[in-house]
Amino acid sequence: MTMQQFIEGPLWTFAATVFLVGVAWRIVAIMMIGKPKDLTVAKSSSMAGAAKSIALHSVPHGGNLSRTIYHVISGYAFHLGLFALLFLAAPHVTFISERIVTVPWPAMPRWAFIIAAEAAFAGLILLYLRRLTDPIMRQLSDWDDHVGTWLTFLAMLTGCLALQESHIGLRLFHMVTVQVWMIYFPFSRLMHAFTFAMARKHTGATYGRRGFTP
Amino acid sequence: MTDVPASDAPAIDVQAAVDKFNALTGSHIASYLDACVHCGQCAQVCHFHEVTKDPRRTPAVKLKPITKVYNRHKAPFSGLRKAFGLAPELTADDLREWEELIFDSCTMCGRCTVVCPMAIDIASVVAISRQAFAAAGLGPADLMQAAETSRDKGSPLGVTTDVLEDRIEWLEDEHEVEIALDKPEADILLLVSSIELMKYPDSIVAMAKLLNHAGANWTLSTKGYESTNFGFLSGKGDIAKIMITRITEAAEAVGAKTVVVPECGHAFGVLRWAGANILGRPLPYEVTHITEYLAGLKRAGKLAFKPMADAITYHDPCQISRRGGATEDARYLLDGFATGFTEMTPTGNYNWCCGGGGGVQAIGRAANVRHEVFRIKMKQVEETGAEAMVSACSNCRLTMDESKAALGWDKQLMSLVEILADHLLVAEK
Amino acid sequence: MAENSTTGFSKTLLTGVMVILALLVLFGLQPSALAGELPTRQKVPDITDTSRPYGPGDLSDMWRGIRMGEPSSVTRPGKDGDVLIQSEGGQWQARRGALIIKYGSMVLIAIIAVIALYFMLFGRIRIKGGRSGLVIPRFTLIQRVVHWSVALLIVMLSLSGLILLVGRDSLIPVMGREGFSIVASAAMEGHNLFGPLLIPALIAMFVTFVRGNGYRLIDIKWLFKGGGFLGGHASSYKYNFGEKTWFWWAMVLGLVVCASGVAMLFPEITPGRRFLQFANLAHAAAAIGIIAFAIGHIYLGTIGMEGALEGMTKGTVDKNWAKEHHDLWHDEHVQAATTDTAGAEVAAAAHGDVLPEGAGE
Repeated sequence: MTMQQFIEGPLWTFAATVFLVGVAWRIVAIMMIGKPKDLTVAKSSSMAGAAKSIALHSVPHGGNLSRTIYHVISGYAFHLGLFALLFLAAPHVTFISERIVTVPWPAMPRWAFIIAAEAAFAGLILLYLRRLTDPIMRQLSDWDDHVGTWLTFLAMLTGCLALQESHIGLRLFHMVTVQVWMIYFPFSRLMHAFTFAMARKHTGATYGRRGFTP
Repeated sequence: MTDVPASDAPAIDVQAAVDKFNALTGSHIASYLDACVHCGQCAQVCHFHEVTKDPRRTPAVKLKPITKVYNRHKAPFSGLRKAFGLAPELTADDLREWEELIFDSCTMCGRCTVVCPMAIDIASVVAISRQAFAAAGLGPADLMQAAETSRDKGSPLGVTTDVLEDRIEWLEDEHEVEIALDKPEADILLLVSSIELMKYPDSIVAMAKLLNHAGANWTLSTKGYESTNFGFLSGKGDIAKIMITRITEAAEAVGAKTVVVPECGHAFGVLRWAGANILGRPLPYEVTHITEYLAGLKRAGKLAFKPMADAITYHDPCQISRRGGATEDARYLLDGFATGFTEMTPTGNYNWCCGGGGGVQAIGRAANVRHEVFRIKMKQVEETGAEAMVSACSNCRLTMDESKAALGWDKQLMSLVEILADHLLVAEK
Repeated sequence: MAENSTTGFSKTLLTGVMVILALLVLFGLQPSALAGELPTRQKVPDITDTSRPYGPGDLSDMWRGIRMGEPSSVTRPGKDGDVLIQSEGGQWQARRGALIIKYGSMVLIAIIAVIALYFMLFGRIRIKGGRSGLVIPRFTLIQRVVHWSVALLIVMLSLSGLILLVGRDSLIPVMGREGFSIVASAAMEGHNLFGPLLIPALIAMFVTFVRGNGYRLIDIKWLFKGGGFLGGHASSYKYNFGEKTWFWWAMVLGLVVCASGVAMLFPEITPGRRFLQFANLAHAAAAIGIIAFAIGHIYLGTIGMEGALEGMTKGTVDKNWAKEHHDLWHDEHVQAATTDTAGAEVAAAAHGDVLPEGAGE
């Protein structure tokens, strides 16, 4: 088996399995912990509160935007850029439609790719610089934050280096970094991509029944 | 697990804290702990961080002790983490180091949740953490004492039933108002806060006047009169339950369908939104805050007020507005009555805390920070041009009164029920 | 003193704006200045014309027209899309090789050689009085973060850019065509994607470092003394003539690099090929200018001079270093000198070299 066959075959299958099973396991395990039934009398709908929180909590509210503007701008730039790259970059669209779902969807044009990549890189770097220098974030950060950031950065970087799509070696390099990222994902704080909805659901439900979703 | 105590420090029962943390970590708490990405935005809106700029006073830092226990014992893949040596056990030093953050440095106001990208309810995690710290034998002595006094004497300020009876009798004489105490039967059980009884008795008089005027069938009860729940605030679950049991027994004794909580934010938050869970069964009565109840009476046309032109603004008690769901009721009461009313910025559900909620008011060593926090409020009020700040929480009021005195501020602090009672429109019959 | 630095700041700002304006005027000029003079275009002749030198069907004029870049009729018209042969491309290629690569390499090699020679002859510039044990806060944490962001970007972009510029000549012999092809592909994509980040980084650098970088009279004296390299003491405030020149050099050439880089990244927004060819040459020339100065800067900041690097890592410098290299700044900040190195680092991180209130004259 060549290196290419190994990376595109068994290693890909392994990474994808760890990712899917790990993520599902962690979500189910958190839900299985359970919580006691709330016996208080609801004033308003907890379902509506949960839905509102999941869907709308990302929208800055409460008049605090000027206080959190750095995180809001760099956070949005990074996440929107990353999602655009992940789901709309032409090579990804091809890969996903060949391997995962057969229905292709339109890829974004080159100029949009460049803007998305700039936004994602600038956002990630700004957030990481803040993590390194802001006393508040330094106080909170642990090794997982650093490893997660670096793996994400490397996956993005190798992807961009392979953008010309003219060398198998560069593509395999990208695939390997992504596979490492996928294997690390379920055991790390990268899981916030899923747990964010769980946390928001609980807060939204708890406070939705009181009549105000924070 | 218990550390060998230093000569002057009390023993810290780490295992008890670990057990408590484990017992109280439900899937909601687990979701919170797993979702925190350590971004630190919560610090930007916390009043304690705002005035100290101390990075340790970041709300998310308060999640650390419980996260440590969670990662070692309950989290998914905790076995894997332990195997790699990545999940150390909680230590006595951790607890000692975090005590001030968990008790003195959080009023459980919930502002941090608003900016948290994950909407983590740090306040509820702090409430749980206090139980674990209390189980380990930690917590500020004065706050713990207030809880124990509530258990032993009926109220954190030592208002026994005798004191209650004396005070009520004196108030009735002094203000020529009928204050029902221990009526055998009533639709409404009114609670009082000992802060009102001892420091702001006019507030009780005002409630009595308003309820009497509206023709409500209400009473106070010596069986259960104290609305504040220092058992909850100090993390002593058993005392929290005792306090709620007393109220419930009193309500059942008089056959009350409604329990009205006076001007006290946490008293309302605990009884209304945690009471049944602490008691372990649904409460056999409806819990309502005095502002909600009065708004209902006004809506029903049973109360009307003479206009008041004073330049005032309204301070939202966190547990009544943001975390209580009764933000609009105070506005409804002020509407059409307080013609000189101006909102602060921010206000309502996004207000700044007074700095003394969650029992912090009772912690003596936190006084200086509280005063600093009050500067935020002073600035907010001054920006509105109001001459007086009205609130519907005697704990907020006490906190702010102390800070006002310490800082020599010249604006007035008022109670909503008091200004309402002062401007009650008595129709000529 | 406060008043002085304020006027210094506005002067600096004014200088910066003037330089940028001048540059914009220059940049807006006809690219022919660099791309060379072009023959006048001719109208494509009517090939049925019997009066043509070789009779009807004489295509020589048509081919001449095509050769001269005369637009033709095409099914997908667009920017330059109707030009069959763009002859200026040959000129661009020749200039890239004969001017940029040739002289660029010579400049870079010469600078490295001079520095190496200097280092061999004179060695490291030591702090003459030795370390004092006292430190003075110099750079804020924000300034250091900005500096290292720009530094990292410039190093990455220089390496990938040089691979693209001279890799064909220098790397193919080492790694072969296939190997170089992979490296060049990665270098191009990396360069294209990280390049634009230099724009916000340089803006941040301008904002955080412009104060104190305005030229003053004393800089001329410094220049005449050769910055102390020729012997004698050259006085300076926070930044000396060399450092100020580096700042403005990086800003001005950075602007050229960024503008031309954006043009090449988004060719759709440019007037056409000739502009892009001009942009490419300007990009390379300016980049070599930055790299050349950067080599000297990196040398002096690291092995070249004792006590310089820590200003940009810890944020503090030794008092004796300050006295030797920035005596006037040292005199202003001498009372901030302290043996509490940890405390000075914290103070530097938050306030840089701003003295506490009430300090100074």
